[in-house]
Amino acid sequence: MAAPLTRPAKTPPPRAASPSDGPAAPKSPSGPGARRGQRRAVTLFMVPFFALFTAVTVLPMFYAAWMSLFREESSGLGFGGTERVFAGFGNFTEALTNEAFLRSFGHIAFYCVLYIPAMVGGALVLALLVDSAMARARRFFQIAYFLPHAVPGLIASLIWLYLYTPGLSPITDVLDALGANWNFFGHDEAIYSVVNISAWQWTGYNMIIFYAGLQAVPREVLEAATVDGSGALRTALQVKVPMIRPTVVLTLLFTCVGAIQLFDAPKLVQLRANTMGEDWSPTMFIYTAAFKGHDYGLAAASSLLLALVAGLLSFVVTKLGNRWKAS
Amino acid sequence: MPCTNRTTRLALAASAASLALLTTACGGGSGPDASGPGDGGKPVTLTFWSATAGAKETAEAFNKTHPDIKVKFSLVPAGPEGVTKLSNAVKGGNAPDIATMDYSALPEYASEGNLEDLTASSGELVKKEFPEAVQSLVNLGGSTWAVPFDVTPIQLYYRKDLFQKYGVEVPTTWAEYRTAAEKIHRGDPDLTITNFGGGDPALLSGLAWQAGAQWYGTKDDAWKVNIDDPKSQKVAAYWDGLLKDGLASRTPLWGEGETKERATGKVATIIGAAWSAGSFPVSYPDSKGKWGIAPLPTWDGTPSTGMYGGTSYIVPKGSKHTGAAAEFIKWVTTDPQAMTARLSSLKTPSSALPANEGMRAAAAKEFDNSYFGDQDVYKLSGEAAGTIVPGWTWGPVQQQVTSAQMAAGGDHTKMLSAGQTKGESAVTDRGLKLAQ
Repeated sequence: MAAPLTRPAKTPPPRAASPSDGPAAPKSPSGPGARRGQRRAVTLFMVPFFALFTAVTVLPMFYAAWMSLFREESSGLGFGGTERVFAGFGNFTEALTNEAFLRSFGHIAFYCVLYIPAMVGGALVLALLVDSAMARARRFFQIAYFLPHAVPGLIASLIWLYLYTPGLSPITDVLDALGANWNFFGHDEAIYSVVNISAWQWTGYNMIIFYAGLQAVPREVLEAATVDGSGALRTALQVKVPMIRPTVVLTLLFTCVGAIQLFDAPKLVQLRANTMGEDWSPTMFIYTAAFKGHDYGLAAASSLLLALVAGLLSFVVTKLGNRWKAS
Repeated sequence: MPCTNRTTRLALAASAASLALLTTACGGGSGPDASGPGDGGKPVTLTFWSATAGAKETAEAFNKTHPDIKVKFSLVPAGPEGVTKLSNAVKGGNAPDIATMDYSALPEYASEGNLEDLTASSGELVKKEFPEAVQSLVNLGGSTWAVPFDVTPIQLYYRKDLFQKYGVEVPTTWAEYRTAAEKIHRGDPDLTITNFGGGDPALLSGLAWQAGAQWYGTKDDAWKVNIDDPKSQKVAAYWDGLLKDGLASRTPLWGEGETKERATGKVATIIGAAWSAGSFPVSYPDSKGKWGIAPLPTWDGTPSTGMYGGTSYIVPKGSKHTGAAAEFIKWVTTDPQAMTARLSSLKTPSSALPANEGMRAAAAKEFDNSYFGDQDVYKLSGEAAGTIVPGWTWGPVQQQVTSAQMAAGGDHTKMLSAGQTKGESAVTDRGLKLAQ
């Protein structure tokens, strides 16, 4: 299986706030021999990473690029089987003119509009609340909010699928009892169901990152604010938030790049919300092209295009982020 | 994505394992043979993948009576996942020797080079032992690609008690069916004639089939895609009308609300196939004796019906033992013993109607008719099978068409236009010729 680009972007753990980059290297006592030995050790430790990186990322990428140049041709009714022919950039033009593929990016854009404010805002609020909570409660909330992230994405989506299903779900029972008529799998409602699954999964995780950022805010600054007569709310909004802005920007970056690779949640919701279509998100389009349409060339070409978009997006968001950070 | 990695690993392990299997299977020294069981007394081992109930026990019964062939069974997922798994296995060179497949997937599979041509080993069998209506489903482009297992005539299941209560006669035409729907709905606004909110384009295709549509066809060496033809449009408009007027419920087929609606008497009829009957005692146990079976209403009064689903046996590309596989397939599709073995292993009743006449008697004997007030279920479905409109052919891009149609939700007219657009573009995308 060579579709290499469907890996959900995991945000890396927050960097240690410590200023030093690892233990300070002690002055080497015995000259170049020891340094050579050190270099050898470093090489040895790096080999597994590069070996795996090559095998599971670089090579599949080249393979996808190779595959994207070919298409399967049949002749007549097709019962003679298929033939692999060189297509040049044909698969790329096909992907770029494919309405469903282009539309899938629109879906993701709308998803981001709903999801990013909800998730980042939610995480920020929770982090600020936990930060101002009693010392003992902090620990508990930290773990409690993080727990959903410990559940694998696929399982989380399955759980929510049950919670959305009328007849199985206590939520729909309650909504029915209240007289609210909300169909989680409806044509217009399905996207909210997807947003909810993602937010449930990632809010706690990002809350931890923000919280770590808040821990690094110098206490003197907060004390100074209090002495100056700033209340808790004002301190939170006008002192704490600006001070963790770099962290928030970093989170936005990873969330955007992650969103474009969205797969698990919409794929599962779509099983019930048929009207979403099987090509709702770019990765779903690729999956369907490969395994329903058996058009591996188109799937490979779309994968590369998606990678390109994700790359560009990362670049733009980083640039913007740097500018915000600087301001 | 971690899932992909795991699949790759599984696939690797599976291919390694099946490679080992294949080498032992070829150990008989006969090599690739098309002639049948291995010589020299060493049994040929066949691998068999299916999602159908009772397949394992059927294979075991076969092994007991056929010392020279050993069938090893593996359960695979039903539906699209199973289809995907099989085509990946063929690509990976580790496909089984025998598998079951929905009729609607056959042309797609055959035209992708994923099936062994069975003309030589089973062509005669299919021609002699199976009814006219299924011939066009398994014989494509002049070759035989599969052996039929069951036929799936669509029938009308109706609530006798509700019909009586609201003074409704069993409808024989679609016009009468609509009148019945109006009468019942007027009598109790909570009641609808059936649920038809989308979710299964296969039922719409079966009803279009009854109306004389042919979604696919061939003209010389080109495919015809005729999903949006006037006959299908008539059917779609009819159902969209029932939905619009509230006479049919918008609950999707196979949706969660469906069982509840049907079990609690909120719908007065179910449009089902022959195989549906077996699920009634399990899904709606409290309604025993209330359901009756009738022929499907028609457009012009002449008895006719279409098919809804149905399974055939195939030999995936790359099998080294097509001869032995054909022998197993012949046994499993025509020998009454196979049917008895299958049915006696099932925990829930099956009303699948074998395509082969000889098998029907065996199947009928095992079925308990008491749920349907002693109507003879197999006799009725057998009669319905005789009225299936012949000539239907599935197309080479049906999976994608189904996906596009699913996305249309409960709008059947849109289902047709979406299917037509997708069908045409998918045929051209595959480099196949599209008839104008």
